[in-house]
Amino acid sequence: MSLVASLLIALVALVAVGPAMAQQGVSETEIVLGCSNSFSGPLAYTGEQATRYGVDLYFKVLNDAGGINGRKVRTVYYDDGYKPQEAVANTRKLVEQDKIFAVIAPQGTAPVAATLEYLEENKVPLLFPFQGSPITRGKKYVFSGMTLYDRQSKMMVDYLVGQRKFKTFAVLYQDDDYGKAFLTAYEKDLARHNLKIAAAEPVKRGVTDVSAQIAKLRAASPQVTFLVLTPGPGAQALKERQKIGWTDTVMVSSGPLTDEKYLGLAGDAAEGVEGLSLWPDPLTSDLPGVKAYRAAMQKYFDKNEPNRYSLSGYVAAMLFGEGAKRAGRTLTRETLIGALENVKGFDSGILPPLTIGADHETQKQGFWVRVEQGRFKQLTDWLKSD
Amino acid sequence: MSLRRVWPLVALAALAVWPWVAPRYFVFLASLVLVNVVVAIGLNLLSGYTNQLSFGHAGFLAVGAYVAALTTIHAPAVPVVVTLLIAGAFTAAVGLAFGVPCLRLGGLYLSMATLAFGFVITEAILNLDTLTKGADGLRVPAARLGGWPLSSDTTRYYLTAVVAVLLVAAAVNLVRTRPGRAFLALRESEIAAQASGIPVALYKTAAFGVSAFYTGVAGGLFAFVVGFLSPDAFDVFLSVDFVVMIIVGGLGSVPGSIIGAAVVTVLYDWLAAFQNYRPLIFGTILIACMLFMPGGIVRALEPLSRRT
Amino acid sequence: MTAATIIHVVASGLATGAIYALMALSLVIIYNATRTLNFAQGEMLMMSTFVAWAVQRALGLPLVLTLVVAIVAGGVMAWLVERTIIRRAIGGTHWDVLIITVGLSLILRALAGLAWTHDEFPFPSFFPSAPIVLGPVRLAPVSVGIFGGSLALMAALWALFRFTRLGRAMRAVAQNQRAARLMGISVERMYSTSWVLAGVVGAVAGVLVAPVVFLSSKMGLIVINGFTAAVIGGFGSMPGAVLGGMFLGVLENLAPLYLPSGIRYSVPFVVLVAVLVVRPAGLVGRIERRKV
Repeated sequence: MSLVASLLIALVALVAVGPAMAQQGVSETEIVLGCSNSFSGPLAYTGEQATRYGVDLYFKVLNDAGGINGRKVRTVYYDDGYKPQEAVANTRKLVEQDKIFAVIAPQGTAPVAATLEYLEENKVPLLFPFQGSPITRGKKYVFSGMTLYDRQSKMMVDYLVGQRKFKTFAVLYQDDDYGKAFLTAYEKDLARHNLKIAAAEPVKRGVTDVSAQIAKLRAASPQVTFLVLTPGPGAQALKERQKIGWTDTVMVSSGPLTDEKYLGLAGDAAEGVEGLSLWPDPLTSDLPGVKAYRAAMQKYFDKNEPNRYSLSGYVAAMLFGEGAKRAGRTLTRETLIGALENVKGFDSGILPPLTIGADHETQKQGFWVRVEQGRFKQLTDWLKSD
Repeated sequence: MSLRRVWPLVALAALAVWPWVAPRYFVFLASLVLVNVVVAIGLNLLSGYTNQLSFGHAGFLAVGAYVAALTTIHAPAVPVVVTLLIAGAFTAAVGLAFGVPCLRLGGLYLSMATLAFGFVITEAILNLDTLTKGADGLRVPAARLGGWPLSSDTTRYYLTAVVAVLLVAAAVNLVRTRPGRAFLALRESEIAAQASGIPVALYKTAAFGVSAFYTGVAGGLFAFVVGFLSPDAFDVFLSVDFVVMIIVGGLGSVPGSIIGAAVVTVLYDWLAAFQNYRPLIFGTILIACMLFMPGGIVRALEPLSRRT
Repeated sequence: MTAATIIHVVASGLATGAIYALMALSLVIIYNATRTLNFAQGEMLMMSTFVAWAVQRALGLPLVLTLVVAIVAGGVMAWLVERTIIRRAIGGTHWDVLIITVGLSLILRALAGLAWTHDEFPFPSFFPSAPIVLGPVRLAPVSVGIFGGSLALMAALWALFRFTRLGRAMRAVAQNQRAARLMGISVERMYSTSWVLAGVVGAVAGVLVAPVVFLSSKMGLIVINGFTAAVIGGFGSMPGAVLGGMFLGVLENLAPLYLPSGIRYSVPFVVLVAVLVVRPAGLVGRIERRKV
């Protein structure tokens, strides 16, 4: 065979094999990310905000500025309606059909847990899921997003018992993975201070009336009542306690609950309520990153009001951008993970400097707030959860 | 050879070679379709022949799924076929326990009772959390067939396909047997059947039990194919999905169950990219389907099959 | 539990129960006239409330006018749906219509999500939030208001069915369609009327309950409680629907007070099954006997 022919064959072989050896989801011009999330069902609002108005918002800004190392980011989303079997099917479709590079910002403990094993087996990074259960800990390809619930609980209990010297606690919690995870965490953290929960009442998701539960909690006379609910029932709980005139307890909302939606629904019943805030106020904060977020929202989705869910998606995308940028032009799943693990003191302009280490936990922060005149007033600096 | 004879052979051949020609995701999707086919047949055995529409079959699916999962977790030596039988039998027992007192109820009343059943089951799963891991969800280990774990899409697909084919064949042949003819008589007129000496109450109970058995086995398959269970998976909307499948396919018909399950599952999957438009599109298709094909797809295709 | 607490919880339960009763009534009205179940009843309620809310925000209407807008929207939407979609399904079975309403519920919920997102919104209330204090007992004005408003509507419906020609015609169609037709009653007109009536009842229920449960695309799920209430009371019977609703509302509220968390949410369904087994006609209703 002639030399020319051999060279031609070698070239053809290289071209044919080349793409097959390249990283899935990364081409010359684009990076493909995606997730299965709730666009219908009980958590449709948060799902849509975190993805289309959060992650996509940041990537729009980034792509307009040229992308990451010359590549633009494209996202693919599928609806799972909070059903784990749909999440499994969607995630498999994303990995096997859409050939995504990584999963970014899926939502919910059960839907995420259902996909964990598959993603680890197939070495697909699961980045910054919008959920706080510790099941994501210790997985090589997972980086947590939200401050995990056990850390949130630790910050809340240590602050309330240590600094505010409270001794009796009750919990009103949603009857699902989110509520029960916090209940367990509170029990553990109070036990460290030799305290017990005085009363705990579950609230079924979507129920319309919490008068019985509030009455029972009141009968236990707690100094502090934790609320681990979604904004609707959370606001109902506050209105109910206002109705019965139960003033001698401090209502404290968990991290995911402490947001402007809940305030808006509760109206004046929220006055004096406290909570752990995971984010600065997306509407009024002067932090440079939050202002940039608002400007971007105004530019691309002016009808959409800034909120914490889209803010969390925005930060998730920002973190990805930082990791991918550091990984450089040879972007593979391994280089991304390595780059993320080496993030130290990253300033998002929104949260305190983020340092991700081998524990793959990106967020460990929270600060205390109290509602005054219809807005959250910051009472402490960023609390420590280590 | 008439078309009617050829169809099943073609279908079986396609089923057998599917994993070799289809991409991995579509093998997984096919497994889901087959699981839904078994549920649809089970539901149709109840609803198509005894005119009782169940809005609680997600509850039966859940029972079968959790029983299969827990058996595999706590007694891994049990071969998967036995596990599925256990799941089916347990679910049948639950179905009978539930069905017996509700025998006298007709139509709407039974539907309401099944709706209630579905809710009670999901509550029970949520609250028996030491056993079921409740809201956190239960990871299902791989099924084992003679010592080998069925841990690939292809092996799971073949398990599902074989079980589904067997159950479909059983359902088709049911009609040829005496009990089967009794069921058909029940469908035409309960009163006439009673007058002909058919013990209606017994057959209605049996329908419940068989329907629950089918759905329980499907639940076991579901557990192995999906790999993760949680109470959120089995809500009333899933029960409604199954009802949609049999009515769109054709009430009281085995081919209807198969077609309905396949069409609805594939359509639903294909529409996933439409995110929050999906319910809109799906709902429109449902309405169009019922307006232009009343009686379901099978009835609409009847003129075709007559020519063969 | 003090007596004052129990009274408060029961009062709250009666209010929720009144809403369930209205939901049950709208389901029963349609069922009686057409022998079909409207799976989309809750979503129709949700839509009419959303439309009223949107109009109120755009034009700054007072609350009474907002209620009128809701009623008009609910009635018109129901009429349109019945005339353009449901009527065409005459060739099918009752199950076909059921699936159509399932499809409709999906469409309406998706449309609401597209128009207003799936977020939850506060809705202005007719009633002040400061509690009415009667000695040790504190009653929420909104509970009293919902209960009173629902009762007024139920009374109006009763009067409609008892004393008006339209009401009698609807009752005739419910009892025996063929005979009613022979008497010159347009059965198709009664179909439309029953849908419109159900739409109106739903609209009022929506405006009453939205301040409490907040306005959102998933507000329609309340229809399941309506079904349960209607069956407990005796499906097909309107007084049954009312009684069933009230009973269910109070039961749901008392259960958490006395039962452990494991079983309290199953109680309504256990009661439902118990009623069906022991007395399928429900508290008040009558089982129709089919003639051979």
